[in-house]
Amino acid sequence: MIEADSEIIKPEILKAYVWLQTSDGSIQQVEQEVAMFCPFICHEIHSGMGSSKNYPISLPPRVNPPMLSLILDYCRFHQVPGRSNKERKSFDEKFVRLGTKRLCELTSAADSLQLKPLVDLTSRALARVIEGKSPEEIREIFHLPDDLTEEEKLEPIKNTMDDPRIRLLNRLYARKRKELKERERLKNVEVEEDQADERSLDDLLSFINGGNEDSKASSSSKHKKKNRKRKDNHKTASTNCGISNGISSSRNGVQKNKETDEVDSDCSNPTFHGSLLHNLCNATKLLDIGDDRIAPSGDEFDSCDLDDDIDPALKEEIDREVEDFARRLNPDWPERMQDILFLSQRRPLQLANGNGSLRVFTSIDQRQK
Amino acid sequence: MEKDSDCDLISDLPESIIETILTKLPIRDAVRTSVISTRWRYRWASMTHLVFDDRSATDYTDPNTVRDRVENFVTKFLLLHNGPIHKFSICSSHLGACPIDQWLLFISRKDVKEVVIELGEDEWFRAPSCLFSCKNLTGLELVYCELNPPPNFKGFPWLKNLNLHQIAIPPDDIECLISSCPLLENLSMSYFDGVELTIRAPNLKYLVLEGEFKDICLANTPRLVNVSVLMYMTDHIANHFEQSSSCNFDKFLGGVPKLERLTGHLYFTKFLSIGNRNERRPMTYHQLKFIELYQVSFEDINEVLVVLKLIVNCPNLKSLQISGSTSAGARDPDLQFWDKNISEDFTLHELKTVKLTDVSGVPLEMRFIKFLLEHSPVLEEMTVTPSSYVTEGRLSMLIDLVSFRRASPQASIVFVHKSI
Repeated sequence: MIEADSEIIKPEILKAYVWLQTSDGSIQQVEQEVAMFCPFICHEIHSGMGSSKNYPISLPPRVNPPMLSLILDYCRFHQVPGRSNKERKSFDEKFVRLGTKRLCELTSAADSLQLKPLVDLTSRALARVIEGKSPEEIREIFHLPDDLTEEEKLEPIKNTMDDPRIRLLNRLYARKRKELKERERLKNVEVEEDQADERSLDDLLSFINGGNEDSKASSSSKHKKKNRKRKDNHKTASTNCGISNGISSSRNGVQKNKETDEVDSDCSNPTFHGSLLHNLCNATKLLDIGDDRIAPSGDEFDSCDLDDDIDPALKEEIDREVEDFARRLNPDWPERMQDILFLSQRRPLQLANGNGSLRVFTSIDQRQK
Repeated sequence: MEKDSDCDLISDLPESIIETILTKLPIRDAVRTSVISTRWRYRWASMTHLVFDDRSATDYTDPNTVRDRVENFVTKFLLLHNGPIHKFSICSSHLGACPIDQWLLFISRKDVKEVVIELGEDEWFRAPSCLFSCKNLTGLELVYCELNPPPNFKGFPWLKNLNLHQIAIPPDDIECLISSCPLLENLSMSYFDGVELTIRAPNLKYLVLEGEFKDICLANTPRLVNVSVLMYMTDHIANHFEQSSSCNFDKFLGGVPKLERLTGHLYFTKFLSIGNRNERRPMTYHQLKFIELYQVSFEDINEVLVVLKLIVNCPNLKSLQISGSTSAGARDPDLQFWDKNISEDFTLHELKTVKLTDVSGVPLEMRFIKFLLEHSPVLEEMTVTPSSYVTEGRLSMLIDLVSFRRASPQASIVFVHKSI
């Protein structure tokens, strides 16, 4: 009976339908007046496509079935001429209450169908998502990589960072970033285990002393003393000019890696070396820029251009804070403190080029030996 | 770029969409995107629509600090910007005297198309001459500024939209400016006090005027579609009106055959009534569908004549809105002219809605309502709102209304009675 009913109903309604094919190959039937709201579909219809199931209109690849149904909902509402502006506005407001991912997909799909009002609407919604958020939050929302160095981040808008509080925040953020970066590197190198070098620590040091040859990390020894040495090396290597990253943070980074469960302890050494070398490269690059700006202070190797305008009291406070941070994560603090002081006396950071950084290791090495 | 399980959602959207999103952010937030990731580092720097407004203003309360910071921000932004600039808009009440000259010079070299400048009201800025060298301007909006076009200024050949509010400019120059922009479609001017304005703009479609104009003459505006005028009155202008000999109605509405919408406030109807003579056969406004005339004084027979003249020549009028104004000294008007001037079979074929507000119930007004009801066969709704100054006359108003003959069977009269 239902079939008979539908047979009776069909001729009475007499609506025109078009056939649309999405990227996954599925074909849908849509009322023509609704689909015509999209300029892209309109053009296709005028060129004769879409009138039957065998000749559906192929929609652009960015339009997948869920997005298509959202877009059709939009079209279905707005193509009715009798609606008031208020109605349309409130529909729009509710329509864009989607998750960020779907918003982005929807924007992309609407753009490929040339549906400009919807693109405007979703762009506005995305702008509202971005507005007022900090870079970290934005990165998290959109899954963007944090691949700028601290210096690059400061560069264009450096002058707005006059406020010392902002600088302090930057330092702390930078430290956190470094730690996260460490974790990433460790994760990555974990994957690339076949590249782990089997050379001993001594080999590594001799390479560093000797010059820039093969750059493979080495050592799988877990000796505590060696670890500490490596931490020292790591510490100095990672001190980048212009970056507010004290020793403690890098140490903390390493320490954290050792203490947390994220990193498989077996891999900790080769991965650490991977990171060591990476930081070496970083140090080399960035130290070239501003060697004269590294003030050999009695404190950590904090960035010096940022230090310029901070009064000493604040600086001490900052350093104290750094220490606290480190202490919380690092039980070997007293020993390390000694290292820091010792190193600073030796003025290891008179670095002008890549070779200069190597000198650092020499001094430490000699001291340790 | 790292490949996480949830990969980057947004950076792969087309550039035009990214630009749209960045443009919809307060400009400070757009710049902040530079620290998100490498791909986003300089995306903000290729924005083509720059809108600096108080949305990006900092939270500092000291106005000097705010001003300095805003200035610094704009200057640095422009310095770091890369690429063409199509729109430059700066609306900030914090800025008075600022490096606007330098900014405009920079912008003028970047092929700018739209410029909006609204700075603080206290110190009007002087528009630098580089503004006049922006040849590709399609839109210009200036508020609180002094304009002095250089002598060899030939106009903006592509200008479509011109908005000038509280501008100090020599009167001849303003007429020159308007007439030297051949593509001008949209003109909006306010607070040009004491100016006798003649507008020559062959492509002009939308006109909005507000101020104490001595005189307005639409000399060459054949394409005008929408006119809205708000005229203030001063004694000076009143004197001028009394001494004027020309027919304002013809001067203003003589050359606008395509007019669709006419809106007049305050003394506009009075202005139109000056020098009104029925010598020339008035033109028929076939397209005029919406008329809104506010503060029409129904005690002045001249003004009523103007309204009638207008209505009689608008066969396709759809909607009429008139608000009355009370003035002292109601004379006993001569109602005979009505039957003399208007033939019995005159009809407003399309008139569907009439809204009358501030009705004071004076004889001419009631006669006018009667006239409308008698000659509108398709009228659907007439709303009458009595003036709040009228307290006792409401009942007689209502009695009269009910007694009028209606040409339209579906006409309903809504008498809006608000308790005082």
